[in-house]
Amino acid sequence: MPQVTIDGQTINVPAGTLVVEATKPLGTHIPVFCYHPKLQPVGMCRMCLVEVGTPKLDPATRQPVLDEQGNAVINWMPKMQTGCTTVVSEGMAVRTKTPAVAEARRSILEFLLTSHPLDCPICDKGGECPLQDHTLNYGPGNSRFYVQSKFHNEKVVPLSPLIMLDRERCIQCARCIRFQSEIAGEPVLGFADRGRGLEIVTLDEPPFNSNYSGNTIDICPVGALTSRDFRFTARVFELNDHPSVCQQCSGGCNIYIGARDNDIKRITPRQNEAVNEIWISDKCRFVHHYATAPERLTTPLIRAESDLKPVSWYEALNFIANRVRPVLGEGGGKTIAGLAGDRVSNEDLYLFQKLFRDVLGSDNLDHRVGWSLWNAGQELVKHFGAGIGTNLGELTKNTTILVLGADPQNEQPVMRLRLSKAAGQGANLIVANGRVTKLAAYAKQSLVYKYGAEAYFLWGIVRSVVDADAAKTKRVRGADDLVQNLTLSVAACAEKAGVSAATLQAVGKAFAASENGIVLFGRELMFAMQDDPAVQAALEALVLLSGHFGKQDNGVIGLYPHNNSMGAVDMGVLPDSGPGREPTRNVGLSARDMGLKAKVLYVVAADPATQDPKFRNPGFLIVQDLFLTETAQKADVVLPAASWAERDGTFTNTERRVQYFARALTPKQNARADWEIIRDIALHLGAQWKYDSASDVMNEITKTVPQYAKMEHARLRVTARRRSSVQTVGGDSPEPVLIALGELYGETSGVQWPSSSETNEDAEFEVQFAAPKEDTPAADPYLAVTRSLMDRGSLIQYSEIVQPRIPAAVVEINSHDAEEWNIADGDRVKLTLDTKPPRVLELPAHVDGQVPQGVLAVANNLDGTMNLPMGARAKVEKVN
Amino acid sequence: MFQGLSALIKGMLTTGREMLSPPVTYQYPEIKKPVPPRFRGRHELKRHPDGLEKCIGCSLCAAACPADAIYVKPAANTDAERYSPGERYAASYEINLLRCIFCGFCEEACPTGAIVLEHDYELAYYDRRSAIITKEQLLVAPPESDMSTPRAAADPGNLYAAIPPVKGGIEPVNIVEMAKSK
Ligand code: SF4
Ligand code: SF4
Ligand code: SF4
Ligand code: SF4
Ligand code: FES
Repeated sequence: MPQVTIDGQTINVPAGTLVVEATKPLGTHIPVFCYHPKLQPVGMCRMCLVEVGTPKLDPATRQPVLDEQGNAVINWMPKMQTGCTTVVSEGMAVRTKTPAVAEARRSILEFLLTSHPLDCPICDKGGECPLQDHTLNYGPGNSRFYVQSKFHNEKVVPLSPLIMLDRERCIQCARCIRFQSEIAGEPVLGFADRGRGLEIVTLDEPPFNSNYSGNTIDICPVGALTSRDFRFTARVFELNDHPSVCQQCSGGCNIYIGARDNDIKRITPRQNEAVNEIWISDKCRFVHHYATAPERLTTPLIRAESDLKPVSWYEALNFIANRVRPVLGEGGGKTIAGLAGDRVSNEDLYLFQKLFRDVLGSDNLDHRVGWSLWNAGQELVKHFGAGIGTNLGELTKNTTILVLGADPQNEQPVMRLRLSKAAGQGANLIVANGRVTKLAAYAKQSLVYKYGAEAYFLWGIVRSVVDADAAKTKRVRGADDLVQNLTLSVAACAEKAGVSAATLQAVGKAFAASENGIVLFGRELMFAMQDDPAVQAALEALVLLSGHFGKQDNGVIGLYPHNNSMGAVDMGVLPDSGPGREPTRNVGLSARDMGLKAKVLYVVAADPATQDPKFRNPGFLIVQDLFLTETAQKADVVLPAASWAERDGTFTNTERRVQYFARALTPKQNARADWEIIRDIALHLGAQWKYDSASDVMNEITKTVPQYAKMEHARLRVTARRRSSVQTVGGDSPEPVLIALGELYGETSGVQWPSSSETNEDAEFEVQFAAPKEDTPAADPYLAVTRSLMDRGSLIQYSEIVQPRIPAAVVEINSHDAEEWNIADGDRVKLTLDTKPPRVLELPAHVDGQVPQGVLAVANNLDGTMNLPMGARAKVEKVN
Repeated sequence: MFQGLSALIKGMLTTGREMLSPPVTYQYPEIKKPVPPRFRGRHELKRHPDGLEKCIGCSLCAAACPADAIYVKPAANTDAERYSPGERYAASYEINLLRCIFCGFCEEACPTGAIVLEHDYELAYYDRRSAIITKEQLLVAPPESDMSTPRAAADPGNLYAAIPPVKGGIEPVNIVEMAKSK
């Protein structure tokens, strides 16, 4: 660790540290513009100039020369150096407070301001702008220029439907360009022209079409890039930034809800080095309008004759109690069923299942509707979930990451950033799916298996682990039997899976030999798990025999679709498993059967009617939602729920991290938090429940769900703090400082629950061979259902601004297939699916190399592609 | 005793003098007392000579206000509907005169000289709501009747000078001229 002297104080910092970073522990903050801790240094703006010297060495002895006092003599470099590109060396001395440094900073700022408009009062960055802050702290007090003599440039340049560029304000630091190429991996921004004419342009069509584009607004050190959603709607210092957690995917990105006038003005990222660092996706940032949409339900409704009529809460709850009690009397709770979407909080879900199990005496509970229909592998997560402390963004070369059947770019966007970061740091990223995804571009090895042959693929890897004599049997039972029963050879598996035997062997060897191993499985593999139990058996065998479980940086991560898919299972909203993922004695009806057998159905935050055209009111239907959904239109009682921004609670992300979100707004009119409504129903049915807040419910959860012990709100809240509106450089605020300033702290937030293999270090697990399902050979191509970040999902429709970013539906076809079927790129094709009754889609073809032969990939939930059945076979015809 | 008597006479004399001097009472509200020029009464939102509103909706007045009396909601100017020079204007501007302490900080904070505390001191209302005065009440009449806002932009696309140039101050160097003269 080199020792450096900064303004006379010495400090030891790791080798390779940059001068700008080395000074931070001493409280000395060097102002920067182009440098950002998350980006590679480029040294473009010269704001960070400091005086740097190295010890003078005696030419003969190569030892530092000492002066009379015994101090090393420093050779000061003749010119100042940029602190952001200078790496510390042993004995280096740095001066940051000399008049020369102050003069350099003053000059750079004056230079930047020559062509900077006098816009602060109307600029959306004003109040959190590094250029403002630095000018105040280090800049010249006076201007030597007429305002009129300033250089002018275009002010309103729409860079994309989401982002506006003000060319006058750009200081040409290239942070936005570098973010897009280094972090997002979508290099769609660039500089054009030079000198005064230099400008940011998008090289993309549609313009600036990146899933992560909004982050450039945050890291831009000036107000050159502004959000078209937030533009001119409030000043940043008027906002109350409430800590929250994003509801748009299962990644659980930490955010601030910037609220004013009981409205969400903007969403910005909240630093959490273990979840999203400082990034969020555009979905997270721009799809919040549903929470404050005027279409929201604001009062309870009950069906009188044929119409839904507004009533008071008292009437609605009485109505429910009067209708439910007789049903309870007749058949017990057997004919009452509940469906809760996995978007609501743990507190809501816990009370929901408690209402059914304790008050109604029913196990007919489920959360698997919509995208969650695919959810599987919960047992794997319970037992082998990646160990506590695993941080995907910090994995390095001693870890092998196996990503199976997943497309994080579109489904858990920020997770993709962290996986590609890990790959950049040397982690051995292996990506396997039935098609090529964006993540594969970062992989050391990218494999494309045949859809439907996942079990063969995985058994092939297990076989190669065994063949390489790399199988570990510590804490594993039945390993010998498995080896005996696993008669499939690597070559046979490889052939079935459509990959080469050598690759399977290489993957198996690399995974087993790696010090740490993590398996991430996504929606497409979960579909296979539901289709064929052998897939889960093979995955379990792979994790167990490679010994990668029960400790940090080892285990599995299921990439589920929704923000609280994990919590829904933890809380026991399943017909066969209760709180704490304990199997229940009785097995109730699952979502698929409820419609047929239930008489009373209570639906919370789910819309089964849009997915199932046959959905009907089973007799008495209670719907609790934000909007009058299609299901709600069929209901007898509709209860208005409060949005996530209007109440507090916890979500559990897909890495099993429980995170607290605070209340930012007051609920719309009569809307109430979901847990509150469920409690009131229970009270009206005679239960003796005493919960006055979501924290009360969580306190009970800490006692009844062993994994959630010690997860009281008070504890989770400590790291989820409000942001104070005024920030200064290097100020000693305990809050994470603004992203644009580049002043970050290693904040993490939230608590992970441990998997059973980690809680109980002696527990043994059984491996078993399960033969893969015999596939029925089909002549027609396989329909792979994919997902795009923005789609016609029920909540996205309320955000007008993102509508242009919803792609048009296309069917992706392999170029060889296309040639054979005589289809050219852009042709319209007709797909006839082998469902019953057959379904016909007519879509434009997109011929590319992303899908293998025999596969058609179509994104679900776009115009004309609602509710596609994964794995269907499709006949393809060209439409003339 | 003499002392007491003289004091009494002195007092009576003063009373007598005041009795005979002309009255100072103004017949308010028929007659209004002029206020000093720097009197801080009810606010007004000023206009530029061309009728455009000076207020650019920056909320700096609201930020400076110690009584939290000002509410500003901004919006963007368009070529079809121009309210103020530059990109931004105040879509709504309210001052709660019951909160206001007439300190004038808002006037001091305003970068465009839009908000000025003027001489109206007749600030009594029958209900609390009407003490919240809106932008329509605050905004002065345009210099000519055809100069009202919003109106179509005279110079479409020019959204530059939100802040008018400052008069006086140090003599700036005009780099453009300098470059030309060399
Ligand atoms: S970018 Fe910063 S310095 Fe420039 S006008 Fe905006 S707030 Fe002012
Ligand atoms: S737009 Fe912002 S981030 Fe991009 S180069 Fe200009 S100042 Fe830098
Ligand atoms: S005069 Fe003072 S108290 Fe009144 S609005 Fe202005 S800043 Fe606020
Ligand atoms: S009155 Fe002045 S300070 Fe207040 S919003 Fe308008 S321009 Fe800004
Ligand atoms: S040159 Fe160092 S921060 Fe820009």
